[in-house]
Amino acid sequence: MKRIWFVLPLTVLLVACASQGQKSAEIEQRDLFDQQKDERAATEASRAKEQEELKRRLEEQKRRQQDEQAIVRPLPDTGFSGSQIKGEGSAKLDEPGSALATRSIYYEFNKFDIKEEYVPVIEAHANYLQDRPELKIVVQGNCDDRGSREYNLALGQRRADGVKRAMVLLGVSQDQMDTVSFGAEKPVAFGQDEESWAKNRRADLVYPNQPQ
Amino acid sequence: MEGLNKMCKKASYVVGWVLLLLVALHGIARAQLVIDLIGGGASQIPITLVPFAGEERYAQKISQIVSADLQRSGAFRLGSIGSARPLPAEPSEINYRYWRNEGTETMLIGSVLEKGNGQAEVRFRLMDITKQTQLIGFSYTVPVPHLRTTAHRIADMIYEKLTGDAGVFATKICYVTKTENRFELQVADADGFNPDFILAHREPIISPQWSPDGTRIAYVSFERRKPIVFVHNLLDGTRTVLANYQGSNSAPSWAPDGKSLSVVLTKDGISNLYLIAVDGSGLNRLTSSQAIDTEPNFSPDGQHIIFTSDRAGSPQIYRMRADGKGDAERLTFEGSYNVTPRYSPDGKSFIFIHRNESRFNVAMQEIASRQMQILTAGSFDQSPTFAPNGKMILYASEIKGRGILAAVSSDGRIKQRMTAQAGDIREPAWGPLPNIRRKD
Repeated sequence: MKRIWFVLPLTVLLVACASQGQKSAEIEQRDLFDQQKDERAATEASRAKEQEELKRRLEEQKRRQQDEQAIVRPLPDTGFSGSQIKGEGSAKLDEPGSALATRSIYYEFNKFDIKEEYVPVIEAHANYLQDRPELKIVVQGNCDDRGSREYNLALGQRRADGVKRAMVLLGVSQDQMDTVSFGAEKPVAFGQDEESWAKNRRADLVYPNQPQ
Repeated sequence: MEGLNKMCKKASYVVGWVLLLLVALHGIARAQLVIDLIGGGASQIPITLVPFAGEERYAQKISQIVSADLQRSGAFRLGSIGSARPLPAEPSEINYRYWRNEGTETMLIGSVLEKGNGQAEVRFRLMDITKQTQLIGFSYTVPVPHLRTTAHRIADMIYEKLTGDAGVFATKICYVTKTENRFELQVADADGFNPDFILAHREPIISPQWSPDGTRIAYVSFERRKPIVFVHNLLDGTRTVLANYQGSNSAPSWAPDGKSLSVVLTKDGISNLYLIAVDGSGLNRLTSSQAIDTEPNFSPDGQHIIFTSDRAGSPQIYRMRADGKGDAERLTFEGSYNVTPRYSPDGKSFIFIHRNESRFNVAMQEIASRQMQILTAGSFDQSPTFAPNGKMILYASEIKGRGILAAVSSDGRIKQRMTAQAGDIREPAWGPLPNIRRKD
């Protein structure tokens, strides 16, 4: 747990900076095209030249970012290894077996810290959401039904908020995530055994238009 | 004409289905609980209940209802009426020598008289056979459907007279039932009779809590796909949103004056306790720990709140001043999981759920001595609630994965089990003493 949190902020800062730069470049590009459309006097040649110049600048910017990332990004040793960095377009939400296709994070009894094995999942979703700032998800916290329903409701909220916090640290906007706790009230497994309980101690990442 | 016929046919078809549905729903609502007594008290008070003269004309037989109440309490040993005939209904008809020889010490006699206009008069006397004196004697004239309630009142008076504690047979309980995808918040008599739902929908309902005067129930409903606290008026069936802030809204607990409640909100971060007026105004934060604080419960004098917090790493019970000032004091130290604290009506102890190795059981702890006693032996006991006389504790348990209610006396000796006919039953809350009998 402690180790993860030590590494997360570093990554986060980087990813956040990187995406910022890229986004402003995109906007710049669009404005430029609009202006060119209006200015009918501008020659084809100068337009092409400007475009080329822009492309070059963008590419340089991208390269710089990638360089920066390559230099400062911590070495994988902490569960980050398999995860991809920025994968705009390449990331598919439902690719079987991918980190993005994993929508549930499981916990130990009475715990809300994210286990190392789920860090790639959180990171994949964080990247996906950063690439789609208009997308909003709900993080639902759940618990097994032993003990206290009210304490479990609070614990489920902590699980959901913990996932949100990790994603915010990874650069996702606060506004892209809502959290809710269902406590022990929405079990997916109904046995009175560890196998069932383990399935119910989880946080679900729920994307729009998906069954909740 | 043919069209009209068709329409009528269609209409009657629809009406038929609606009626069928109503009958089915009615059946569900009326499915009462069945209570079994397991074990009994150490010292049982002997009492002989004589069938009331004329009670056989009514569906609700007074002496049988009183008998069931007293028996279920585990505090009484019911004597046989043997072959003595005729049975006495008035003191002048009692053959004291005969009953003394039968070993009878106290005896309930009475009668039910038809008064017309759907009314009946219930006359009863509790007699001391040894001293040949009357301990209690009353006459009630009530509508016939209220005979059952009258019987509970009689049982309450007998209980109070012979044990010195308030009787709780005429009180109400509420609980949540779950069948398939339907959750109902039901209110019933303390013996499980006359159940009726006050709220029903497909989403979970938890944490019902009676207002101190018994006219309202606060609860948490997930009907808007997130936990929101409501206050439901039992007199007119209306309800208001008490707390619907960002995040979770839960764990309502009434202050003893009924004017405000403590609730748990996550709008400012992690679950913390807040105080809120019953109309939802005047929100005031009580705790601001960086840990879960939940399940507040007011002391009967309104001075303190006990609650669950994991501020020391594991959930434990704490006590703080009700105004939120000063430091909270940790009360439980045994085990790594102590939750759901509820004050006893005398304020001297509290019950809670204690994790006992792999089991979750109801335990009781005296506040002054910190003496803890485990009262139940189920695997997954939850949500304990004190009877208003502090003698019994109702809680949620399970048998073979099915949710049931169970009760245990505060000395752990008497055990009861309440089962519904179908589905799960959970989240019990025992209502207050009826208004007329509250001390203040």
